[in-house]
Formats: sequence, C-alpha cells, structure tokens
Amino acid sequence: MSDPTVIQRLVADVARQIRLRRAEFYGLRGLFWGAVAAVVPLLLKETLGPWSYALAGLLLLAGAAAGAAWGLLLSLPPAEAARLADRGYGLQERISTALEWADRRDRTPIVDALVTDAAARAGQVGVRRIIPRRLPREAKLVPVPLVLGLVLAAAPPIPLPQGRLPSFSVSRDEDEEKTPGDRSGDVQQSERKQATRRDPVQRTDVQERTLSPRLGGGGQSQPGDLAAVFKDTSLGGRAPDFNSFLKKGDERLRMLDSLDRLPDLQSDFTQNQTRMVFQKAKALRGGLDPNKKVSPEKLRELLSEMERLGRKNGGQGQGNWSGDAYEGMEALEGGQSDKAMEAMERALNKMRSMEERGRDGKGLKGGRESERRGARRGDKGAGQQGGGPGDEGDFPEGEGLLPGRGKSGAPKGDPTARLRGSPFDVGVEGESRPGRKQGIDTNMVGRGAQMPSRMQYMGVLGQYRKMMEESIAREQVPRDFQSQVKEYFQSLDEK
Amino acid sequence: MAQPPVSSESQEQRVREFVDAYQSLRAEVGKIIVGHTDVVGQIMIGLFAGGHVLLEGVPGLGKTLLVKTLAESLELSFSRIQFTPDLMPGDIIGTNIIVEDAQGRKHFQFQRGPIFGHILLADEVNRATPKTQSALLEGMQEGAVTVSGAAHPLPAPFFVLATQNPIEMEGTYPLPEAQLDRFLFKVRVRYPALEELTEIIDRTTHVRAVEVRRVLTGPQVLSMRELVREIPIASHVRDLASFIVLGTHPQWERAPEVSRRYVRYGASPRGAQALVLGAKVRALAEGRFNVSVDDLRAMALPSLRHRLILNFEGEAAGVDVDDLVSQIVESAEAMSGSGKEVFLR
Repeated sequence: MSDPTVIQRLVADVARQIRLRRAEFYGLRGLFWGAVAAVVPLLLKETLGPWSYALAGLLLLAGAAAGAAWGLLLSLPPAEAARLADRGYGLQERISTALEWADRRDRTPIVDALVTDAAARAGQVGVRRIIPRRLPREAKLVPVPLVLGLVLAAAPPIPLPQGRLPSFSVSRDEDEEKTPGDRSGDVQQSERKQATRRDPVQRTDVQERTLSPRLGGGGQSQPGDLAAVFKDTSLGGRAPDFNSFLKKGDERLRMLDSLDRLPDLQSDFTQNQTRMVFQKAKALRGGLDPNKKVSPEKLRELLSEMERLGRKNGGQGQGNWSGDAYEGMEALEGGQSDKAMEAMERALNKMRSMEERGRDGKGLKGGRESERRGARRGDKGAGQQGGGPGDEGDFPEGEGLLPGRGKSGAPKGDPTARLRGSPFDVGVEGESRPGRKQGIDTNMVGRGAQMPSRMQYMGVLGQYRKMMEESIAREQVPRDFQSQVKEYFQSLDEK
Repeated sequence: MAQPPVSSESQEQRVREFVDAYQSLRAEVGKIIVGHTDVVGQIMIGLFAGGHVLLEGVPGLGKTLLVKTLAESLELSFSRIQFTPDLMPGDIIGTNIIVEDAQGRKHFQFQRGPIFGHILLADEVNRATPKTQSALLEGMQEGAVTVSGAAHPLPAPFFVLATQNPIEMEGTYPLPEAQLDRFLFKVRVRYPALEELTEIIDRTTHVRAVEVRRVLTGPQVLSMRELVREIPIASHVRDLASFIVLGTHPQWERAPEVSRRYVRYGASPRGAQALVLGAKVRALAEGRFNVSVDDLRAMALPSLRHRLILNFEGEAAGVDVDDLVSQIVESAEAMSGSGKEVFLR
C-alpha cells in the first residue's frame, strides 16, 4: 500500500485554504458590526473626550478580529476538506474515497490500488487556490459606518441636550410659587382630584342601597344565583315603569295583542299548510263558548286563508274547497255568521278528505295504491293532475328525482303508452302554461308539473356537487382540471 | 473461482484488464452498430453489473441487431424469443414431455425452453400476455425456473435483453411494474444523427463482409462482475444515491416539488442498487477505482426512468420522465450537502 501522506498533505492544504476563506468571510462581517459599534463612542466624543477615538478604534479592530477568529476556529472535518479537494482539483472523489476507505476494516483489495492512484494524482496536481473567495452581504455596507465614523471623528463634538427632565411630582412649594393667573386651572384640577376621591364613597352608597331590599326580600344570594350579578347596579333596585312602556307603544305589545292570529304560513315551511289551517279552525270552533259568538275578524281571516290554499292547490270540482271558503266569506260580509260557519265546515270536510287521500301514498301499500291514485288522477283531467296536500312530503329536497329513491308521481312504463294516455306537454321550469299543449309528454306530467322543478334541480345539484368534490379529493385530478370542473358547477349554480 | 491477488499492482492489473475487455467488446459491437454510443455503453454496463436491460425504441433503429451483435461478440449461447399474444409460458421455460428409453419404458423428461441460454433476446416483450411475460420473472430474478416442482438453474451469466416499441400500443400488454422493476436499466434507443445515418447507409447497402470476433467468455464476464462489486464508494456519494432514489418518492418529506406534483410511486430499493452498481461499472470502465458523483449522474436516467410512475397530473401534462429524473438528481445534489457553501459551515 502506498503512503497516503500525500493525500493527507493535500487535504491539509485545502483545509488551510478553507480556514483562510472563512476568516476573510467572518472577519468582514465582524468588521462591519465593529464599525457600527465604533460610531457610538464617536457620538459621545464630548463626554468621553480623547478616549472616544481609542474606544472606536478598539471596537473596530475587535469586531474584525473576533470575526476572523471565529472563521479560523470553526470546525472542519477532513472529509469535507477532501470533498472540496476532489471538486477543486477535478479528482472525481478519489481523495475523499481513499481517505475514507484507507482505514476501514472491510476494505476490499482494490482500495490499495485506489489509495495508490489517489496519491499519485494528488502528487501531480499543483498546489493552487481552489476555494473561491466569498463575501458576506455586510461587506458591501462596511464603508457606510466607516465613513460615518470618520466624519464624526473629524467633526466637532456634538453637544448633548442640557437640562433636567420634567418632574411629574408636584410639591407644595412649587404650587405656591405659581402666579395667581394659573390658579383657575389648579382649582379645576383640585376639584377633579376631589371628585375622583369622592367617587368610591358614592359607589359604596349605591351598593348599600341596592343590596338592602334584595337581602330583605330574598335573603342571602346563593352560589350560582344569576340575580347576584345585578346587585351592584342601581337598576337592580328599581321597579319597572310599565306606564312609560305602554306610552311608547312598544312593538311587543302589539304582538301580544295579536296572539291568536294565524301564523305566517308562507314562511313556515316546516308545517303542512292545510294541516295548520285545519287545526286552527278546529281550535276556533271547539274552544268557544256555544253562547258566545265567533269573532268575525278571526273567521274572516281563517276563511281567506282557506280560500287562498284552495286556489293554490288549483283544484276544480269535488275536491276543491276554495269555493266554499269564498261563499263563507261572502256570507260573513252579509252578516250571516251561521252560513259562514256552515261553509267553513264544508270546506274543512273537503280538506280532510283530500288530506286522507294524499296520505295513501305515504303508507306501505306501495305501487298498487299509487297506480290507483294515478288512474284516478287521470280521470280528473288536466286540471286535476296535482296531488293532494299531503303530496308535498313525497319529495324531500334533493332526493325526489334521484333514480331509485323517493316516490315519483310521474307515470311509468312504456313511454309510447304514456304519450297516448296523456298527450299534454308541460313546461319543465315553473308551472305549466295554460291551455292545451302540443308536443311530447315528459316525466313532469303529474305532481312534478305542479312543483317548481328548480327546487328539485337545486337539490340534486347539491348532491352531485358533493360527489364531484369527493371525486376530486379521491382521484388525482390535475389542479387546472379541478378548477375547470368547479367553475362548471359554479356556472350551474348561477343559472 | 480462484482468490484474487491482493497486491496493489495486481489490482491495477485487474482493472486494466477490465478496461481492455470493455473496450474490445465495445469495438466489436461498433463494427456492426453505428452510433448509439450511450445505448451500447449502458447495455454493456448492464451486462457487467449483472442485471437485465429493457430497450425501448421505434422499429428499425437496430435494437435487435445490437443485441445479436453483442451476443456474437461473447462466447455465450444466445436465444431469441419473438413475443406474440399466443405465446405461452411453456414456450419460454420448457415443458415435460414423455420419452421412451431403450427398454421401451416411458417417462417424463424436461425439455428446456429458449430461456436456457446465456443471452436471451425477448423481442417485443410487450406483445405477449402478462401471464407469459411473468414466466420470465423468476428466471430474471432468481436465475432459475421451476417446472412441475423441480427447479432448473439457468446458465450463468444469464442476461435478458428485452425490446419494446413505445408507439404501437394497440394489441400490446404493457409490462407490469413488478416486471419492469426486474430490469436493471431501461435504455431508450433514439433516432440516429445525420452522420450516423449516412454511415448506416454506407455500411448496409454495399457488399461488405464484417466479421465479429468473440472477445469475452462466460467466466470472464463473471470475474468482471465480481470486480465491480469490490469498487469502493465514498459515503457522501452513497448518500447522494439514497437522496436521488428517495427524491422520487412524493411521500418523502424532503422530496422536491416536481416529484410531489407529478409522481405517484417512486423507485424501489432495486433502483438504488441499479444506480450504484451501474456507477461502479462505469467507474471501472473509465479505469477508476472509485465511484464518482458523475457516475451517479450518468446512471440515474437508465436506472430510474422505468421505476417512476407518474400520477394523472403528470400524464395529463405530458411530463417527460427523463426531465423529471434530471430535476430530481439536481435537487438531490443540493440536498446532500455537496453545495459550494460547504466551507462556510
């Protein structure tokens, strides 16, 4: 095995170069910060006197020396020096591999050849600087504090501001020294001080006054008593002024006055509107004293609501109660309350029968019952295509039109037969247009035509959007395509 | 095999012999094959590293001719299988047939298939069904095949050179990842340059008899393979190989951005083995006794390009795997501390 000292010598030489470069690098950095620090004693030249120059020079040199020393003393493993030697001399990792493997126990016979080869190559390379010089960022800024320091050294001493700091403690002597003109301000100040001093006393009074009636009436407050939080306020002891409350005409009073009004059925989507009217009518009749007359106002309100619902369901013929409700309203206008009540009874009976008919579809009877209803509906003609009031529950939002879910009232089976059975077209959006229609039958014949299809569409869209987001998260769809798909769904939302 | 000599001079002699053999083999192949310097070099590195090579290129670039020439330059048996959709595993491995001896007794005898050769050319390997393709798996990895419960060792050295056409994908069965991973290198055969094409025309359209000499024997190849494994590698070079292979894994916390964005699965440990073994052969072929960073850079593409599986985004964006590997190598070099600022630490 050849002597590896040549390799070690080369590595040592590279290590020395590295240390020198490090010393330069960190020395420049130290010089900058030393120069910055040297500006301070030059600023205090007047105070420090000639010592300021010495101190500034010392700081400058100390900074540079500390940086250089740091660079020289930084640890440098031989392997890193060997790697840089390989790179610097273009030795293709011969030096680092030889240095690493020369002392290994598991070395192969070929390592000897490697060491020989590396040593020969190391001897051939001329020693030159292979580590490039690097300057720190601060190197460019070194002239700034240096020039500033020189200017400060050449300039006359900067006078420091004289005088005392203002005293914030007011002594009696100073008060007496003040002129009478300043007295007014002092009086206000003293009053303010007194007011500040008086305040805690007043607060104590309030606490005592408010606490006593409560303690007398309710005894000691218990832990967790929420009323205790009001005990330290003056409002806690005051009685409510109902007169002023009434005078102001508070909105809540008006709400109390109209407690028995019908609920806003337009906004109450959680309840079946027909059922609400039915219950209200029942309560109106059942809860009254037989000798007492029904309030015409409430009766009129109820009848008008019933008439509105009847119109909304669009029924004509036997199942419609809007006509009865209208008759009741007319009778009420003529002062015939009994006739109005009779008309309301008739309307309620029709409403009940419609409700029960609509409930058929919700049982477990299945398709046979639905078919029967479908046939019945077919008999009624175009005007009777709408389902009963209970049909609204057949289409929970978002699942009515999904395949295999919910119960669609649309006729099924052979489309040609359907076309023959009901050759009427209906609009997909919104309600069907009036009059006889030409064209192709769609699945919207039936209850679907009565309902705004947009609701179903939006519900299904939500489901599909969710599925889309899940798919995008699961599959590895490119980002660009992701945004395109999302934009597509967004455009559907906007329609 | 005899114990290798241990003196420095004898080691140098071994390396010199390796270089000579390598150069002479290359020269023999060069008698027939014009150009394709990288391809020939990578195939030879695959041969001496003890792996198998997959050649990919459009038809007519001389892939099959290259393999045949290489086989002719070696004193080794050569088999060729043209893969077709109706090829069966038994057609490759062999099968038991009933034979009758002199006494009239019948018994099964194993009839060896074409896989029992030193150099096997699996032409258009992606045309056979996966079942047939997988018949090669055991032979490539274990150096033996098992038929009817009996293992039959393959001759050593066993070297598979498979070719596939990247454009005619209809009616083909792309090699599964498990089989791709068995190939040490995947070499792309590019179209020849103008001068090379001119030379090809001259050589192939005139009456010209070229004789290829057999320059290496099987035992010599095996001896060279052993020498390859003795080559030392410095720890920082080995670490760089690890960084490169790990950099292909998008799940790795220090994986480069390109890898995270375009790669679904990264290279297996076989990739790292291929990288280092290939680098060792390259170092030896250049007469060096150690692996350098340049060797790793040169072997990264053939070792890793078939081991990366792009994700949908990578496929959709038409990302070139070679570019991807190059970027991963660059980021691995920056990561492994071989940067120029090392002297400031």
